Amino acid sequence: MSRRAHRKSPPSAVIWLLVAFLALGGLGAIFFQKDSDPYRTIEPLKPSDYLENANSLRGNTYRLEGVIASSLGWSQEKGRLFSLRVTQGDKDSPLPILVPASYREMNLQKGQRFRLKVHVNDSGLLEVKEMTKS
Amino acid sequence: MLSLESVELSIPSLESPLLAGITLQLPGGHFGAIVGPSGCGKSTLLKTIAGILPHTGGSIQWRERDLNEEDLAPHELGYVPQFTCAQPALTVRENLQYAARLRCAAPQAEIQSIVERVEQEVGLADLGDRRAGVLSGGQLRRLGLAMELTTNPNLLLADEVTSGLDPKSEEEITLLLARLARQPGRLVLLVTHSLRFLEQYDSVTVLTGGRLAYAAHPSGLTSYFNVPSPEQVYPALGERAPDQWAEEWITSPAELGFEMVSMVKDWTDEAFSPPEGQRPPLPGLVSQATTWLRRRLKLFFRERTQVFLQLALLLAFPVVVTLFAYQGLPAVRNLSMGTETDILQQLKETLAFTVQSSRIGTLVSGLAMFQVILLSLMGSNNAAREVVGDRAILEKEKLAGLRPSAALAGMAAFLSLLVLVQAGWMTLFVRAVCQLPGDVAGQFLPFVLVTGAMTALCLAISSWSSSGEQASLGSLYLVGFQLPLSGAILALPEFLGWVVRPIISAYWAWSGYLQTLRDTRFYDLVRAITETPLANSQLATWMLSLHLGLGLIVAYLGIRRSDWR
Repeated sequence: MSRRAHRKSPPSAVIWLLVAFLALGGLGAIFFQKDSDPYRTIEPLKPSDYLENANSLRGNTYRLEGVIASSLGWSQEKGRLFSLRVTQGDKDSPLPILVPASYREMNLQKGQRFRLKVHVNDSGLLEVKEMTKS
Repeated sequence: MLSLESVELSIPSLESPLLAGITLQLPGGHFGAIVGPSGCGKSTLLKTIAGILPHTGGSIQWRERDLNEEDLAPHELGYVPQFTCAQPALTVRENLQYAARLRCAAPQAEIQSIVERVEQEVGLADLGDRRAGVLSGGQLRRLGLAMELTTNPNLLLADEVTSGLDPKSEEEITLLLARLARQPGRLVLLVTHSLRFLEQYDSVTVLTGGRLAYAAHPSGLTSYFNVPSPEQVYPALGERAPDQWAEEWITSPAELGFEMVSMVKDWTDEAFSPPEGQRPPLPGLVSQATTWLRRRLKLFFRERTQVFLQLALLLAFPVVVTLFAYQGLPAVRNLSMGTETDILQQLKETLAFTVQSSRIGTLVSGLAMFQVILLSLMGSNNAAREVVGDRAILEKEKLAGLRPSAALAGMAAFLSLLVLVQAGWMTLFVRAVCQLPGDVAGQFLPFVLVTGAMTALCLAISSWSSSGEQASLGSLYLVGFQLPLSGAILALPEFLGWVVRPIISAYWAWSGYLQTLRDTRFYDLVRAITETPLANSQLATWMLSLHLGLGLIVAYLGIRRSDWR
């Protein structure tokens, strides 16, 4: 047994600590990155499916990520209608999304990227249920 | 009784051992001198007895217990090293009070009586209010002795405490040690080069080249070495090889009547030891940490240059940041949302928006990173010398019973105060002057964590460094690499980014801060100009907490390890 005044802290302890640090960091990245996409459990919307036959998707809820391209219309009661540029593979597709009036305080501008939870309503339009900047 | 049996100390890098064949028996109530020419192993022997250097052969026993099996308890041992253990900015009394509080769990009144007792014992009662930094060499040695006497140890080891003193002070300290050795059961060993005042010692141990040449009453010294005066002993030692002297001592003392056992008194040490109940136990972790913190705060406010430097950094750094946006952040002009404008107009608008994104996005990203880097610098300045600067005193206090965890807790508490003030002031000042948007608590969090993480990591560097310069340089490199490797200014290649980002605190703080602007256009503009992915707030907080924790654990290991120089 070594004397009290001659304690050692082996450098290997520091190496093990670094390994533990990297492992905990990796676990944190997996856990918190997953948590950062709140809609990860919802099925993604394929723009091609929607553009081919929007009516067949009525009543369904999807997740979507895209960039606001332009404003298409506005109504005090119903909200704002935007064109959202969604990328699928190498192809960009514009999709119409209706942002309800309840989101009227959110500053939406061209070029902003959003993650959205959308519902295909009775008229086949994509209605935003929830949205967050990505 | 202290008993050394064939003690040996070897170092792999050296061919011959530093100590070999040291056999000694020294009773309680005894004042012994360990003498010899420079480099003979006097201090090495004392450190071996104290446990600072581990003996590689033989055994050391104290009161019939092997010290390798059961070490000396902190209160049993008093070790006065060559260097001063007193804090120069504190008074004699304050030094003694803190020494007593770190070593004895006792109420304030008892601590006070201990301090008064040791002041009287060493003759410092009239100098209680004098700062240690202005004491003479002799007075400093007395203070060092007094600090050790707070636990009333039975084994008092003094390493060269009379060296470099004027003859009068040397005599006074020698007489003081002789008086201290008169306490029943106490063994006092003094390492000295001087052969004056031989009559004061009960025994003299002479070493040469790490070998024992003589260990008996001083009256036989000159006759054994066949010299006319004690001053001639050292030249005589040079006339033969150390091994020859050692061999001669092993064979001759009995014939010459120099048996060590003849010095051993009839009574046992234990009979004269203070009962355990009369000796205050070691204070608990919280008590030691609190004492450490109190002393650190007192030292901080006593050292005006430290306070001035901290204040200067605290006030100047946020001002420097605000110079870039003292008129606030510019308003963002958005792109037309409609599709009715012609293509030329759209191109013009897009170009203007790109220019604006570059200007405002860079400004916002830069303001965030600038604050992070300056806080990192403050963190580095907080801790780079915190451990290594007073390492010798820390080692001494650990030997006297200070827990490494208590020292770390005291340091962490002190540094936390600095970190909170620095991060809080930076957040509030820059936010107020530049009128930055976003959640104030959310912005404070990454800032306080990055300052804490850099402080903890620099504390770790300090605890593993061998000099203040090395610690400062290491800490400076740590801060210096934060900016280029964060990817905030230039995006790193994707693979390199994945490899280095986990260890770059500045990246996580920068990301965490920018996330608080998520609901503003400034966030969009930063996203538009940087290719480096931004981590979300939870992940940034997690990673910064890991950096902080890693720094503290590595610092604990560094403080815990023995580092006597």
